[in-house]
Parts: sequence; C-alpha cells; structure tokens
Amino acid sequence: MHASGFDRTRPLLLAAMAVLALAGFAIGHPDILSGANFDSMAVFGVEIGMIALGQTLVISGGDSGIDLSVGAIAGLAQVVLGRLLHADVAWPLAVAVTLGAGLGLGAINALAVTWLRIAPIIATLATLFGYAGLALVLSGGTNIDLTQQSSWFLALGQGRVLGLPFQLIALYLPLLAMFAFLQHGTGYGRALYLTGTNDRAAALAGLRVGRLRGAAYVLCGLTATIAGIVGAARLGTARPDAGMNDNLISIAIVVLGGTGIFGGTGSVVGTALATVVIAIVDYGLSYNDFNPIYQAGVIGVILIGVILVENPVLAWRARRFK
Amino acid sequence: MSAAVMGAPKVPRLRLPQGREALLLITLAVLVAGIGMFSHGAFWSRINLDNLFVSSAITLIPAIGMTVVILTGGIDVSTGSMLGLTAAIGGSCFAAGWSLAATVPVFLLAGAGLGLVNAVLIIKGKIPPVIATLGTLSIYRMIVFIVLGSNWITQIPPVLTRVFVVDHVLWLPVVALIALGFVIVASLYLRYFRWGRHVYALGNNEEAARLAGIRPERIKLAAYVMLGLLTGFAALLTLGQSPMVQTSTGSGFVLQVIAAVVLGGTSLSGGRGTMAGTLLGTLVVQVVDDGIVLLHIQPFWNGVALGVIILAAIGLSSRRDAGGM
Repeated sequence: MHASGFDRTRPLLLAAMAVLALAGFAIGHPDILSGANFDSMAVFGVEIGMIALGQTLVISGGDSGIDLSVGAIAGLAQVVLGRLLHADVAWPLAVAVTLGAGLGLGAINALAVTWLRIAPIIATLATLFGYAGLALVLSGGTNIDLTQQSSWFLALGQGRVLGLPFQLIALYLPLLAMFAFLQHGTGYGRALYLTGTNDRAAALAGLRVGRLRGAAYVLCGLTATIAGIVGAARLGTARPDAGMNDNLISIAIVVLGGTGIFGGTGSVVGTALATVVIAIVDYGLSYNDFNPIYQAGVIGVILIGVILVENPVLAWRARRFK
Repeated sequence: MSAAVMGAPKVPRLRLPQGREALLLITLAVLVAGIGMFSHGAFWSRINLDNLFVSSAITLIPAIGMTVVILTGGIDVSTGSMLGLTAAIGGSCFAAGWSLAATVPVFLLAGAGLGLVNAVLIIKGKIPPVIATLGTLSIYRMIVFIVLGSNWITQIPPVLTRVFVVDHVLWLPVVALIALGFVIVASLYLRYFRWGRHVYALGNNEEAARLAGIRPERIKLAAYVMLGLLTGFAALLTLGQSPMVQTSTGSGFVLQVIAAVVLGGTSLSGGRGTMAGTLLGTLVVQVVDDGIVLLHIQPFWNGVALGVIILAAIGLSSRRDAGGM
C-alpha cells in the first residue's frame, strides 16, 4: 500500500461532484454563483471542515475509531466560552481556557477508548450524552448572547483578511497545512497509519498503539473546540446545541474524502476537498429553503451512497492487483 | 458439531453477566431507596410507578432487539428515527380513518421494513453498522418530515391508551406485562434454541461460526428485522402513552435503548450479554430519569448522569477482562 494511502483519482472525482452540485443548484437559482454566496459557503465549510480534520485522524487510526461527540464538544465549548466572557474574563484568556477545556474533553474520549477500552462508538456516545448535558446545565438551556463582546473576539468569525473570511485564511488553511504535515510528514502520521492498517503489527514493532490513537481523539476534541469558538464568534451567540448534526456531517466528509472506514488509509487533503462538496450541497439546500432536516437527510444519502459505490470498486481493484 | 462449538465460550459467558446483574440490582436498590426517601414518598405513588413501568416497557421492547443486534457484533443508531417514521406512517393511517385492527399490522410491517433496509445496507452493502445506521437515522428523520410536513397527528384512537397503559393486570400496566413476556421468551430462546445459541457463537467469533456451518448473514438479517419489528410495536405503544405524532417523535430514544443494553452488560465486541441484564439496565436508565424529575433536578443533568454511568459501568468491566491489546 502507498504510504499515504491516498487515492489519486479521488480529487478528480470530488472536483466533478463539486461542479455537478453547483450546476444543479444553479439551474434552480442562477444567482447562487455569486461572490457573496461562495463566501457564505466558505464560512459554513470552515467550521465543519475543521471538525472533519480531527475526525479523519480518529477514523484512520482504525479499530472502528469514530468520534460521535464532536458536535457536543463544539456546543459545550461555546457555552464555556460564553460563560467566561459573561464573567468578564478577557477574551484572549477566555478563548485559551476554552481551548484547554476542549483538549480535556478530547482527552476524556481518549482515555475512555484506550485506557478503559470501551468501544469507540459507545465511549463517544456516552460522552455525547455527557457533554451535551453539561452544555445545557452550564447554559441553563438557553443561548448566551455574545454580540456585545469585543469586536476583536467577534472578528474570529466575522473578520476579513485579503477580502476573504478571516477564519478561512487565518485558521482553517493553517490548520489544514498542520494536519497534512502531521499525517504525511511526521513519524506520528506514519505510525498512526500503521496502527490503522494493522495494530498488532504496530504493537509488535514497538509502537504505543493506545497513545497514538488517544492523541487522535485529543486532536479531534481540539478541532471541534476551535470550530465551536469560530461559530460562536460568527453568530455572536453561544448555543448549547450548536453542533447537533456535526457528527454525521463530519463522518460523511471524511468518508467522501477517501478515508477508509476500516482505518489505515486516507488523507486530510481528501477531507478538505470533500468539505468543499458538502459545503456546496449544504449551502445549496438551505439557499433553496429546504428545512435543515433535509440537509441532514441528503448528507445521509451521500454517506451511504459513497460507501455503496466504493466497496465494489475496492473489491474489484483488490482482485485486479492480486 | 454444534455442541462442540458452543461448549467452549459457555462458562465465561455465564459467569460475568451474573456479576454485572448483581451490581445492577444493587445500583437499582440504592437508587430506588434514595429516590424513595428524598422524594418524600412520591416515588412510591401508584401514578409514578405506573409511569415508570410504561416508560420502561417502551424502552425495553426495542432494547430486546438491540441486545440481539449488539450480540451479533452490530449496532443500530437509527432506532429513534425508525420509531418516529413508523409512528408517522401508522399515525397517518389513523388520521385517514383506518381501524385499529387494520393499522396495527402497518406499524409492525413498517418497522420490519425499515429494519430490513438497515440489514441490507449492512450485510449486502458491507457498510459498518454504525455508519449505515447513522445515515439512515438522518434519512428516516427526513422522511418523517416529508410524511408529516409541519403538521401534528392527534387522531390516535383512545382505545390504545386504555388497553396498553390504563388497564392493569396483576397490578402492572398491560404494556409492562407484555414487555416482561417478551424478555422471558427472548431469554429462553437465546439460551435453549439453536438459533439463539448461534447468535452467541457468531458474536464470539464470526469466522469460527461460519466454519461450523452457521450462516452469519441470516442471523444478522433476522436480528435487524426483529429490532425493526419491535421498534414498530414500541411506536404503537408510544402513541398509547402520549397520543400525538410530531416530527421530533422518537428523537433521543435510541440513546436510552443503547444505554440500557450496554449498561446491562451486553458487550459491543459481541457474544456476551443477557436479556436479564438488559431488563435491569432499562430499569436503571428509567429510574434515573424518573428520579431527576421527582427530585426537581434540572432535567439537563439526565444526559450527564447517563454518560457517567455508562462510562463507569462499562469501563470498570472492560478493564477487568480486557485481553490482548
């Protein structure tokens, strides 16, 4: 297997899907092809795209790795941040504390999976309950208004750099570059791939399999937290239920981006390209006034459809190259 | 041949859940004693106990199916959407003036059909169960929205509530007796019938089970369809409990069901778990839920409590018997 496990035909496929999706929406609403709309797509895509970066690492680490709690982490992060800001904590400190809390939430997932050895689905389902509940407890179940906060803070989600959204240029792209380097240019990345491909071999080769996978959950918690902070700054509100469908959407993006669901393959670069496709689909649907329930439903169809198409192709390739 | 395969995993399988069941019984006793005391007797009121039994029964019935699905090494996270969609389809029949006798099969068939969709995606499509059912979770919910629009269905025949919830036999609401009956049948079936034994064999080691002549695909198919069927029945009971269908009906339900099953000691790596455990797990989940209401604790703590209980219960046992990596 290629060391990066990256399928080279995938970018073409994703570009074709993006163009098709855009063309489809443009038939109904030609004005969707405007700068302002592309801008809105980017703003939406950045938040879920960050979460998908972390989710890529978790899934590629194998052993049915999955993080269902990402949305709950994003919501809880918003509430923690909101409470701190309302307690008159300076915003840089509040953001720093929230990031620390996010690392902690990711670490709880990591410990539940690697130390308590709970199956990732159950462990992150339990923390989904726990984190979403805590977000409701801390917020009293209501949204926290942040529109009166420092404009520097709000710029995290509303600012512009070089005429483009701040969070795209200053947060998402650097984060993507870091994750791509981590995955393809460091020993950690190679070790995580090996763990995902064959954890027994990895352990026999002296790798600390638990720590490698644990680190992926911690990083995933971090990306979900950053996404939560950016979302709160963008809307000027901290919402306890901010990340409701984030687990479904981030997993769909990762799978669409070519990361194998059985671990050991894939790349955050594919994830980034798939984010563009999902952002177009999601924005296009809401632009055409579809209820958010339809967005989740369509993404569910995409998730299942991609795997249904992909499995026979993979089986065919495996036969051909035997 | 079959006996030789079943012989090996039998001893550890029977010993561990007994420890779990004892632990759950103690937990339940402590919870009930505590809530009974601090609620100043409100817990022991007839009306509260009835509510508790009805809610437990509605969770328990799909939990029986979920236990079998998890025993085979799978999972279904779409159960809540499935319940919502079945309720929407059946409710639409009620709204169109269908009789109860004509509509009950609709509930059961709709549930079984949705379970079949999950089964086909997982078995034929070779999609990991959590991903396939995460997809159908959102797809089924979308169809609920398509079926209902922004309307509510309230034309539910009152006889449902009377028969299943209000009427008592042997001091228990009828639904609770039905659920108990299902648990006993499922428990005996898993323990003494060939297919039941095959479920454990499959969960323990799919490859070995296949070599022993068991057909994993058939058992998995039956498990997901059975879960769908039971969920369809639970949808009918839900309408007896609160006679209304809305787009959010059943959301959050699956978390309770899965919590009950895994709390009851059924292991997600497959092959280990009992119906008695699921029964006790369901009671713990529902008593916690009830206690939070009775003790006037913010309902938001419910999720936190469940999350912590699951992590603690499974974490302790899986660390104890974790082998290998």
